[in-house]
Amino acid sequence: MSALELANVRKVYRSGGEDVIALDHASLTIGDDEMVALVGPSGSGKTTLISIAGGLLTPTEGTVVVGSEDITGYDPKRLTRFRSQRVGFVFQTVNLVPFLTARENLLVMSELNGVGRAGRKRARARADQLLDELGLTHRARGVPAELSGGERQRVAIGRALMNEPKLVLFDEPTSALDTKLGEHVMELIQTEVKGRGIAAVIVTHDTRMTHYCDRVITILDGKLAA
Amino acid sequence: MLALRELRREPRRFVTAAIVLTLLVVLLLFLGGLLDGLYLGSTGALRAQRANVLVYSADANNSIIRSRIDSPTRARVQHVSGVTDVNGLGITLTGTTVPGQRTLADTAVIGYERAANGVPAPPAEGEAWADRRLETFGVRVGQTLGVGPQKVPVRIKGWVHDTNYLLQGALWVHPATWRTVQATSRPDAAVATATFEVLVVRGTPPAAQLARDIDTATHGTTKTLTKNEAVLSSPGTREQKSTFAGIIDVTFLVVGLVVALFFVLLTIERTALYGVLKAVGAKTSRLLAGLITQALVIGTVAFVVGELVTVGLAAILPAKIPLTLQSSRAVSTYVGVIIAAMLGGSISLRRIVRADPMTAIGASN
Amino acid sequence: MFLALGEIRRARWRFVLLTGAVGLLVFLILFVQALTGALIGQFIGAIDHQSADVVVLSLSARKSLEGSVVAPDAVTKVAQVPGVAAAGPLGEGTFSVRTSGKLRDAVLIGYQPGGPGAPTTLRSGRLAKSRFEAVASSRNASDGFSIGDRVELVRGGRVVTIVGQARDINYSVLPTMFTTFDTYVEARRDANPNASSVWPSAVAVAVAPGASAAAVRDAINRSVPGVEALTRAQAVKESPGVASVSESLGTVVFLCFFVVVVVAGLFFLILTVQKAGALTLLRAIGIGGGALVRSLLIQVVLVVLGGLVVGAALTMAALGASNASLGASLGASQLLQTGAIVLVLATIASLGAIRRVLRIDPIRATIPGAVG
Repeated sequence: MSALELANVRKVYRSGGEDVIALDHASLTIGDDEMVALVGPSGSGKTTLISIAGGLLTPTEGTVVVGSEDITGYDPKRLTRFRSQRVGFVFQTVNLVPFLTARENLLVMSELNGVGRAGRKRARARADQLLDELGLTHRARGVPAELSGGERQRVAIGRALMNEPKLVLFDEPTSALDTKLGEHVMELIQTEVKGRGIAAVIVTHDTRMTHYCDRVITILDGKLAA
Repeated sequence: MLALRELRREPRRFVTAAIVLTLLVVLLLFLGGLLDGLYLGSTGALRAQRANVLVYSADANNSIIRSRIDSPTRARVQHVSGVTDVNGLGITLTGTTVPGQRTLADTAVIGYERAANGVPAPPAEGEAWADRRLETFGVRVGQTLGVGPQKVPVRIKGWVHDTNYLLQGALWVHPATWRTVQATSRPDAAVATATFEVLVVRGTPPAAQLARDIDTATHGTTKTLTKNEAVLSSPGTREQKSTFAGIIDVTFLVVGLVVALFFVLLTIERTALYGVLKAVGAKTSRLLAGLITQALVIGTVAFVVGELVTVGLAAILPAKIPLTLQSSRAVSTYVGVIIAAMLGGSISLRRIVRADPMTAIGASN
Repeated sequence: MFLALGEIRRARWRFVLLTGAVGLLVFLILFVQALTGALIGQFIGAIDHQSADVVVLSLSARKSLEGSVVAPDAVTKVAQVPGVAAAGPLGEGTFSVRTSGKLRDAVLIGYQPGGPGAPTTLRSGRLAKSRFEAVASSRNASDGFSIGDRVELVRGGRVVTIVGQARDINYSVLPTMFTTFDTYVEARRDANPNASSVWPSAVAVAVAPGASAAAVRDAINRSVPGVEALTRAQAVKESPGVASVSESLGTVVFLCFFVVVVVAGLFFLILTVQKAGALTLLRAIGIGGGALVRSLLIQVVLVVLGGLVVGAALTMAALGASNASLGASLGASQLLQTGAIVLVLATIASLGAIRRVLRIDPIRATIPGAVG
């Protein structure tokens, strides 16, 4: 089974009276535990692609199937539920709630989405386990402002893994980090993704990091190259 | 200056604080206006007196209306050393019929012997000087009003201003007219000829001394108050002042808190800006001065708008509400608002001091 | 709870300042309301708690008992109006008295024993039966108006003995004594030896069973000249002192409510705008708009509750301090009512913030610099 299947996806915006084609007939299949790098210059449509894959955006044309779920026709409410249950996101800039501790940032989903007392208990155990695996137990009570850049990134990854998704989407995870730290983060991603058997799409323009991935897909002007 | 330019270019940030402050200014001016209106409207007749002291009967408990001074007592007062002038005063509170009006006017009929500040010498019998307050009841110069339940005829000779008693419009009349009104309004309160309710006395010694001398001379049958004490003894004056003053003080406190609140919210947004400014060499004291300048400008704008709104409010309020807007109250309110605003604004001082130029640059990277 | 409390914990001072401001405004509202209630009760309690169903004043009195005086034959004329079961004179006057050695003002209200006008809130003792006995306002018991106390009328030196105590019967914010009409007449004569005769201030009317007070009032107004009949409720509500006090203070209370709404509404709006980044992130990772709105409303409720506690505490302290002069108190129902109104208004005020929260487009989490 594939973690992600995009078939002929098009995304068209109207801007200033003209049609802007952000994605042009993009088709893509990603296997269950594949780690894929999506590389391309600014404005090439990489962010649009993972937004559609992650249920943040609906395509103008084409179909989107994540796991075995066809989310093409979902309304915003169903998409919200889908995002909370099936995918993990690590965004480029804002990833953490500034007034919550690292541990609270991991727990925010279960606390807010009404999973019942048993569910919250499970979530707390899982959060503590993730923090341990990510080497963050001693920083669990710190707010983002008190954490280093690398630690913040690790918390973000932990949060993305909390709901046990089958697909995790990363938008430029290493762009703000130096080479050494960037390599640490990529290693971490690799360990987590491979270790849990989940799929990952990593948007990056940093060619130093692409060797960690199974496959590199280039995108230019909204079109995918093999 | 950067602070002023920010105000001009990004007014939206400050608009919220300005709106709330304007409302608070309206509240402050309204409270002050009520207090002033109550005070002025209750004590005008007494404040107008050209006197050092007022003489009441000892058993009247400082109530003009229940006090009685007869001729023998008056003679004794006249003979106290240092007394230069003694005049009688009597007040009757009653309803007056105004031609062409359905409702009665609330009036204080004042019988007096000597001109007071802003009040000419007593008119002839059957005539009166009317306080402007009565104009809202339909009274006009030249009209003949019917005073009291028996409608004693009194012709209005002209206007006087700010001479009312206990929020009732004053009619200044000849003592004989007053006695007629008093006798017909309450037969059980009729006053003998030559008897007045209080005496208005001028003398050379300092007022407190004069008061003591008079009471000694009358063997304690009188209670003499300085003019100031007499004004404050008007029923309700002291209680109103302290209650309203208390409420006004609390409102100033609210102003300080609200300004502090909104400036705290504002500074959070600009921590990065402050860091950058510090990085390029701006001194903390300059930044704080800028902040205080903004508080000052916002406070001033809020005051001006608030004053306009209050004036508008005063125009549409029913006459029953004794609102008087005075410039002295406006000035003191403005000063209070500015002080509270500057104190509140300076609560952000800590944040400005702590803004680190280094992290600011890191954040904007 | 989780998100709401988390934010409050990290941004403590903002919420403290807001709760403080709301608390002070609530204090103003509660204090002024308590004051108004007490003032009105003390202005006019005597009329509210006496037995006449209809009170007939002179037309020129402008609905004020204090300024009213009616001719003695008015009582007879009123008694003849159909629907009137009994009519009697009512006298009201303020006198200088001496109690516990101190000189003070007190109100005497005289009525015909057995007729309308007797106090209806007797707590202890009995009504006045013979001359120079009186029922006094219980509020002033410790000022020398307890049962058995002797109150000396300064003019004339005669003494009134207190034989009973009644609740809430003050007039004009003064100690008040209900006595026989004869006593009242004598006190008046003593106070003003020049008086030719003493007229009643008003006529107290008991309405016949089955007749309505309003109908009898209208009948009296139609048939008796020179008077204005009012039902007891009217006499209370339309008394000139009461009307201007309630309107003035009512405007103050309204302004305070208005300020609370604006302050709270703008505060939460600004807060929402400032944490737009975090909110967008949360929507992007799958948290519903409803959960975020709930979080906001929890903060509103906490701030309002905090403000109520602060306001109520301040009010009780202030009333305690001024209790000696006013006897105002904070009732539980008053507190609950004000609290409910503030809560509703604050919630309405936060609609602006709620709208912002719901309008968040989660896609903006992917745009660097768009939020946060």
